[in-house]
Amino acid sequence: MMRDRRIRRLPMMLSAFLALVLAVLPLPTVLEAIRPDFLVLVVLYWSIESPRAGGLTLAFVSGLALDVTRGVVLGQHALALTLMGAWATHLRLRIRVFSVMSQCLTIFALLTGYQFVLFWIDGATGNPVTNLARWLSPVIGALIWPLMLGVLSKLHER
Amino acid sequence: MVAFRNTDTPGRTSGLLLRCVLYSLLALALIVVDKRYDHLGRIRRTLSVVTYPVQLAVTSPFEGWAWLRESVTTRDTLRADKVRLEESLRLAQFKLQRYDALEAENRQLRALRANTAGVGSRFLVADIMNFDLDAFRERALLDKGARDGVYVGQAVLDAYGVFGQIARVGQLTSEVILITDAAHAIPVQINRNGLRTVAVGTGDPGRLKLPYISTSADVITGDLLVTSGLGGGFPPGYPVGVVSEVRRDPAQSLADVEVKPAAALDRSRELLLVWLNPGAPAVTGPLPVTSATPAAPPKPPSASSENDE
Repeated sequence: MMRDRRIRRLPMMLSAFLALVLAVLPLPTVLEAIRPDFLVLVVLYWSIESPRAGGLTLAFVSGLALDVTRGVVLGQHALALTLMGAWATHLRLRIRVFSVMSQCLTIFALLTGYQFVLFWIDGATGNPVTNLARWLSPVIGALIWPLMLGVLSKLHER
Repeated sequence: MVAFRNTDTPGRTSGLLLRCVLYSLLALALIVVDKRYDHLGRIRRTLSVVTYPVQLAVTSPFEGWAWLRESVTTRDTLRADKVRLEESLRLAQFKLQRYDALEAENRQLRALRANTAGVGSRFLVADIMNFDLDAFRERALLDKGARDGVYVGQAVLDAYGVFGQIARVGQLTSEVILITDAAHAIPVQINRNGLRTVAVGTGDPGRLKLPYISTSADVITGDLLVTSGLGGGFPPGYPVGVVSEVRRDPAQSLADVEVKPAAALDRSRELLLVWLNPGAPAVTGPLPVTSATPAAPPKPPSASSENDE
């Protein structure tokens, strides 16, 4: 049991690290607006795939890492990722048997919820971002989800 | 086909709700503390230490590429840069040279403007186009003429005092006779005691004479001569010169008085043409531009007159 769990954690860490790299990769401004939230997608994947490996802890720590790299109020992404990770874990049995299309829609809902939490905390801490581009990222994330799913399952099989 | 591998045992995840609430509360606490008390600087710095390598690892290839591109800049690029920089340096040096001249010109213009404070008439700035019109006469050619309303007998000042008066007017140019011209005389008075007399040019640049001063008159070296305004040719109160030498010969009834002109007769480039007619509106603002034409130019009494003396 212990050995099994350790084996499953390595791809999780690796994928989260790669997603963090992708999240801080400098991009041109045009591409910056449509950069998917890679780390969020990775966290959602592991929350659905193997929550017992510590998906929620991963969500919280990843959120803190995002907070630090983005320089926003500490705990903002952590809270949003924790809530959405828990929701995804709650829905995991249904999501697994969904078709890809339905999965994308569910991911869209989760990412929208994620953005809403961020939006809410932004407003509550006194620096609201009224840029509509923020609501574009759930669409991008849902569109890229099948790709993420394929890559992460391959990584998981290793 | 992409799918979940279903390695997780189906069933309830133990304590999901509990952990969710715990982490959420922790995150909320972090938000509140960070926002309200700003005590998390150390935590943030510590976390930055963790994420910094990631950012460094991500950005270093870009920086390395930029460094590499800079390092292997071709010889042609460097040569082109060199040419461009040399050109801009030459341009800058050229501008710097002009700067000295501009500064002197600016100083002169400022002094000229300060001089106009008491004129209370219309005035116009004119540039000297040519100076040595005739070897034996102190004349200068100005770039303003009848088109600008210049008239014969008009007073000409510079930044430091009376320069001369207009002797001849062309359509676009005019000729000014300097106060040092042998054929010129100007009514003056001694600023110290109000003694009125006439200053006559000598034909020698930089020297005037007071030929009508009696031996007993109160004139000493250093007396300032100003225009008296009598005769109506010149505005009153403008410096004409300073008495430089007084020679009294008891055998003569008249003293021999020499005056050094106040105007920079040999240096000024910008001169001031003054209209003294009382109907002209007073101008106190910025100097009128060159193309300004007077609303009612005073007609010269005789446009073709050679000399008003």
